[in-house]
Amino acid sequence: MKIIKNQKINETVYIETLENGMKIIVIPKKNTKKKYVIWSTKFGSIDNNFIDPTTNKEIKVPDGVAHYLEHKMFENENGVDSLYKMMALGLDANAYTTNDHTAYLFGCTDNFYEGLDELMDFVQHPYFTDENVEKERGIIGQEIGRYDDEPGWKLYVNAMDCLYKNNPIKLDIAGTVESIAKITKEVLYSCYNTFYHPTNMVMCISGNFEAEKIIEEVKNRLLPREKMEEIKRIYPIEPKGINKKEKEANMGINMPMFMIGYKDELEEDKVKEDLAIQIIFNSLLGKSSKVYQELYNEGLLQTSLDSSYEYSKTYAHALIAGESTNPKKVYEKIKETIANEEISKEDFERSKKKIYGDLVSEYNDVENIGRMYLSDAIKDVNSMEYIDKIDDISIEYVNEILRKLFKENESIISIVK
Amino acid sequence: MNNSVISTEGFKTNLYAIFLTVPLNKKEVTINSLIPAVLRRGTEKYPNQLEINKKLEEMYGASFNCGVDKMGDYQVLKFYMENLSNKYLPEKQNAVEFLKELVFNPLIENDGFKKEYVEQEKENIKRIIESRKDNKSQYSLDRCIEEMFEGEMYGIYKFGNVDDLEKINEKNLYEQYKKIIKEARIDCFSCGEEVEKIEIPIERSKQEQVKCELQEHNIKNKEIKEPMDVSQGKLIIGLVTPDKPKSVVSVYNTVLGGGANSKLFQNVREKASLAYTAGSSYVRRKNVIFIKTGIETANYDKAVEIIKQQLEDMKNGNITDDEFNSAKQLIIANLNLIPESQEDLISYYFDQKLYDENLKLEDYIANIEKVTKEDIIDLAKDVKLDTIYFLHGQERSEA
Repeated sequence: MKIIKNQKINETVYIETLENGMKIIVIPKKNTKKKYVIWSTKFGSIDNNFIDPTTNKEIKVPDGVAHYLEHKMFENENGVDSLYKMMALGLDANAYTTNDHTAYLFGCTDNFYEGLDELMDFVQHPYFTDENVEKERGIIGQEIGRYDDEPGWKLYVNAMDCLYKNNPIKLDIAGTVESIAKITKEVLYSCYNTFYHPTNMVMCISGNFEAEKIIEEVKNRLLPREKMEEIKRIYPIEPKGINKKEKEANMGINMPMFMIGYKDELEEDKVKEDLAIQIIFNSLLGKSSKVYQELYNEGLLQTSLDSSYEYSKTYAHALIAGESTNPKKVYEKIKETIANEEISKEDFERSKKKIYGDLVSEYNDVENIGRMYLSDAIKDVNSMEYIDKIDDISIEYVNEILRKLFKENESIISIVK
Repeated sequence: MNNSVISTEGFKTNLYAIFLTVPLNKKEVTINSLIPAVLRRGTEKYPNQLEINKKLEEMYGASFNCGVDKMGDYQVLKFYMENLSNKYLPEKQNAVEFLKELVFNPLIENDGFKKEYVEQEKENIKRIIESRKDNKSQYSLDRCIEEMFEGEMYGIYKFGNVDDLEKINEKNLYEQYKKIIKEARIDCFSCGEEVEKIEIPIERSKQEQVKCELQEHNIKNKEIKEPMDVSQGKLIIGLVTPDKPKSVVSVYNTVLGGGANSKLFQNVREKASLAYTAGSSYVRRKNVIFIKTGIETANYDKAVEIIKQQLEDMKNGNITDDEFNSAKQLIIANLNLIPESQEDLISYYFDQKLYDENLKLEDYIANIEKVTKEDIIDLAKDVKLDTIYFLHGQERSEA
């Protein structure tokens, strides 16, 4: 077992990879009654083409399968729905699907082990029938409809369409009404057998636990599975550079929304790069920046810009989102700032202090901790690296990233009106 | 003065809050909602947002938040400051001083607020009000409340209205601010480890008791359909609950629509596959329950019928032990989570103080445990349907 201790924030992380290939991460927290567990498979909306490791055959599945599978996992042969069973125990249980993983989780103060029994039982026992697969189609159809009315979602999907030519990150996670029409129980079983194998799964647990003990508890609930080779996923080849410069959608909203994006093709330590990008965004465009104040005073921005950096094994990009009556004008101003400014020593030091505070605050809540370690683990990152590495970031490195990722790179903009 | 300390362990941060509370009032709602927006623009010591934000970042990422809220028939101006607790700070920071500076020591020019800030914030509030329709879920709920509480205090929108903005200037806004500081009820909270009490730096000559009695509500029997360009219709139904113990209404609401085991979720979503979301929420301080669901426009009649059937079933005592027990479990589980969030702790105790109940969390939980199924059925007989509101698009013709 790997044990990582951090004196500064007084936290310890235990990481164990089991014989069957499953990874378990435990972050113990004293002084809290809340317990949280999240169990995930590296199977998301972008994994629609792969080689089945048992037959060596290439398989293509309809868009939206990972999400459809998530909905159907709660089904049991005895007719009891596991989600409702967990909620009846007073657990805050849920599941979600992203572009690169599917996760099942619950938080609680009481009945943790009853919940763990149920969680580990239903995730290891799929039960799909023609009828129960059919029943879900209407519900997921409504969920897709809800996304269609969501301007923020449209904004994001269009930004991805501008950045990427082929990468399936630009597809809707839940698929389309047309694509989900093709999903059958056979498709679900095939994906389940491939992706819901321990070698492809990670579990994170946080709360008042002893690491060895809780790992033993998890092991006792795991069913034996035959060894499996790593799954080969087939992704379309993504050409260098952006797909298109801009995309606009009209949804009849009063305050237009925009998202500016930079595609990241650099080969960097992603944690260090992430920290450098946070420093850049905070210094140049954050609430304490000159540009933000000017945009605010001119009435072009009402709330602060929401900047982020997203990366996985198949994509990486930096995004700047906001709302403005005149998104194009804000875009010009941001481009101009990025082209002409360098990060000053003063801004650099202050931004580092702020980011340190943000990183420490993440450890307030076991749910937040669990989610953070899980989503980082999917990318083969251990979240503690952030606090360890922030002291090592130099101003020279930050300005180098500013030049390579932003100054010498083409940007895109997605607008929803 | 109500200043409380809530001690917590295990958090990396401390949270401080100052709440100014006044009765909702149609004439003053807009001008009041402008006060936090202008205060956060500048203080005597930190005259602009640039200086304020730099200071917050220098404090290792402290954060300041403010806004307006509607709590029952009250309008509450809220101010929060969160910062790392001393253990994790390389150098000590004075968060309380800074919060007090922001609320009680604004930037003043010529006996008024800074004109530029007031004009900009008027414009911002105007845009917020005009953009209400952008968030369809929130908008449909707000509209249902407006219709159901037409002519009553609770029907007032928390940001007020655009017409009032014209009359507001830097001088009369400052006068209103001084009045609020003097006359509003003030509650302060300090939550965390080794936190200091917040002492208000002003003299309060008139210690008025800000109190409003629950306003009488007459059943409206409205059915409103509002067309808009949406692909999914939003159905909101307002119910009036009788003046019975809130613990009983709380369990009733949770059996009806509080989670995946509730009647609404099971029947509207699982059995009829009409919706992705279907549930209800209870506004304790107004004795109302709002049912919310998103459906195809064409399924309106079907959905309303199923919902009415659930209300009928509860009246007739068709509540299984599972439904009843899981509802209680869910409420208690949620109450047990309150101490896990500093913001929730402050909200809980503020609500208890404002309504003079001062119930400890464990007593609150004990009350829920005492509720019986008979209590629920008894209550169900007096629950009345008040207003049905439907925000809908064109009926889709299936190709």
